Amino acid sequence: MRPVEILRSVFLSVTSNKFRVFLTSLGIIIGTFTIILVVGIGKAGEAQVADQYSRLSVESITIARARGSGVTTTAVLSKDEALAMPESLQNVESVGVSTRISSEIAAGAISTAVTIQGINEAYADITHLEPLYGTLFTDEDSLMRSRYAVLGYNVANYLFDGDIEAAIDQTVLIKGASFTVVGVLDRIGGSGGISTSVSADSTSADDMAFIPYDVAIKYTSGTTRSGVSSAAQVSFVALANDIDSVKPAITEIQEYIEDTIGSADVYSVTDAGSVLESAQATARTMSALLIAVAIIVLLVSGIGIMNVLMVAVQERTREIGILKSIGAARPVILAEFLLEATFISAFGGLLGAGLSAIAPWALSFTDISFMPSVDGILLGIGFSVITGIISGFYPAVKASGLKPIDALNYE
Amino acid sequence: MSTIIEMKDIYKSYGRGEGKVDVLKGVSLTVEAGEFVAILGPSGSGKSTLMNLIGLIDTIDSGTYTIDGVDIHNQSDRLYARIRNRKIGFIFQKFNLIAKYNALRNVELPLLIQGESSHSAKTRALATLERVGLGDRWQHRPNQLSGGQQQRVAIARALVGNCPLILADEPTGALDSKTGQEILKFFQDLNAEGKTIVMITHDPHIASQAKRIIRVEDGLIQPA
Ligand SMILES: Nc1ncnc2c1ncn2[C@@H]1O[C@H](COP(=O)(O)OP(=O)(O)OP(=O)(O)O)[C@@H](O)[C@H]1O
Ligand SMILES: [Mg+2]
Repeated sequence: MRPVEILRSVFLSVTSNKFRVFLTSLGIIIGTFTIILVVGIGKAGEAQVADQYSRLSVESITIARARGSGVTTTAVLSKDEALAMPESLQNVESVGVSTRISSEIAAGAISTAVTIQGINEAYADITHLEPLYGTLFTDEDSLMRSRYAVLGYNVANYLFDGDIEAAIDQTVLIKGASFTVVGVLDRIGGSGGISTSVSADSTSADDMAFIPYDVAIKYTSGTTRSGVSSAAQVSFVALANDIDSVKPAITEIQEYIEDTIGSADVYSVTDAGSVLESAQATARTMSALLIAVAIIVLLVSGIGIMNVLMVAVQERTREIGILKSIGAARPVILAEFLLEATFISAFGGLLGAGLSAIAPWALSFTDISFMPSVDGILLGIGFSVITGIISGFYPAVKASGLKPIDALNYE
Repeated sequence: MSTIIEMKDIYKSYGRGEGKVDVLKGVSLTVEAGEFVAILGPSGSGKSTLMNLIGLIDTIDSGTYTIDGVDIHNQSDRLYARIRNRKIGFIFQKFNLIAKYNALRNVELPLLIQGESSHSAKTRALATLERVGLGDRWQHRPNQLSGGQQQRVAIARALVGNCPLILADEPTGALDSKTGQEILKFFQDLNAEGKTIVMITHDPHIASQAKRIIRVEDGLIQPA
């Protein structure tokens, strides 16, 4: 049989029963779509983690209040004690301090909820906060309790309606007090693109505002709403002299904390590399879980595909019997059914991939972020198309191996 | 005259163990090229079984079968397909048309399988449909045709490849006697053109119009 005639047979088969084709491809469409979605969500998670920690150099060491019930002491490392570390510790070059508050921030009539960090110069330095416009405030500003603010890119974009440069020297309201905007940070986030809104939960500098530490700390005094001591809201980041001094620096810091407040367990001291690694591992676990879900979906839709094909298999087996009895050789029959299964699967796969184009839009109504990726599309199309082809082709392989009489009498 | 069908001592049974049915119990049959043979016999005697073996639709259990000089024992699937396609035009009791194809494509198929171009297949298929009186119905699908018309499409499909051997399993069984008579006349014309015809029938009157009658009873061919 000429290839063009085999193609025509496939065409006639597909067009003569569009409903069957639709049912068959439905499972493939859903399978492809789900896999792409799930991979995209996983990738976005990993990218977020990478973004969050991209500001940390590998030489940086975070010193944060340890979480968990094991911590009983209320002893706190004071700012001055922490900032004294570079002087007494050989491997520590500088120490940054930061505290967090949640607040509304308003410029004129526009306001949004945002995370505000109170920081010192060293913190900005270690975490690579770079002004796009204006400058950062200094430690002197902090000592003077100057109410200066530096805005993250998205925050400035939102409050000043896209005119970021205009933010400089404007007044913003934080916790009811006026702050002068002295700088706007360069954009960091690679994954999300320019966001027109500000996420209050985000830990990306793009979505935050920064004020001098000594100004911020008075807003955190006492006990926070959740009942956590304000001490938990202060964390430090130390910079080791170089990559090789990270390990000894950690030991030094732990000893220093023990000497200063009597217990080293109150603070967890971790280097950026391992923080990033564990966060990424968590994100990867999430992706793997999501992919497992997608594969289950695909298996279920694969069973659906099989089922639809099984219903059609009696008709198709008789057809194969007829073809054999008038002299069609097995390869011709197999080629026809393989092409048909490929066509239907590819159709479903591409449609599912096309459908995934609406995912970013659909997910923009939720907190879930999505990152389209070639990997996801290839995995989605590949996996479901292969499932489709196998389930469409397998019955034909079986039927074409029968004697013509058995295929004709198939029930 | 050359021998087109030569069967010796053919056995065929279905099932196994307790439920085993011996259908053919040592059938020998020779048909010369150009013959018009009617196979007559009661229902369940094994006529269709014999016909399926002749048409390579089913496989024999034991015995030898030579078709147009080719011993079919232990040949490749390819060769069987080729013989079915080039040497045998098979007309089934149940027509066995492909429902999703129209009359034309059903008739074209044996030619397309041979590798003919779609143009030449179409020309030949249309001419054959014309010949069986369905020239104006080529666009219809089987379910849009009457039983007699479907039978004629099936006949056209068996004829289109110009195979030397036509096998027909009760071609008149489902038709009224007038239409049946027309079909029979058609076979006689084909036979006059040199085709070898083997036809199963229940009807002694129809059978009497063939050149030779073979009686099958209880899995054996009765001596003439
Ligand atoms: N696939 C099969 N499995 C089991 N038994 C079968 C099978 N095909 C045929 N038979 C049995 O073989 C015997 C002969 O069947 P066959 O179809 O050859 O009869 P027939 O002479 O053509 O009858 P009819 O005139 O009714 O068409 C019957 O008893 C039938 O039940
Ligand atoms: Mg029969």
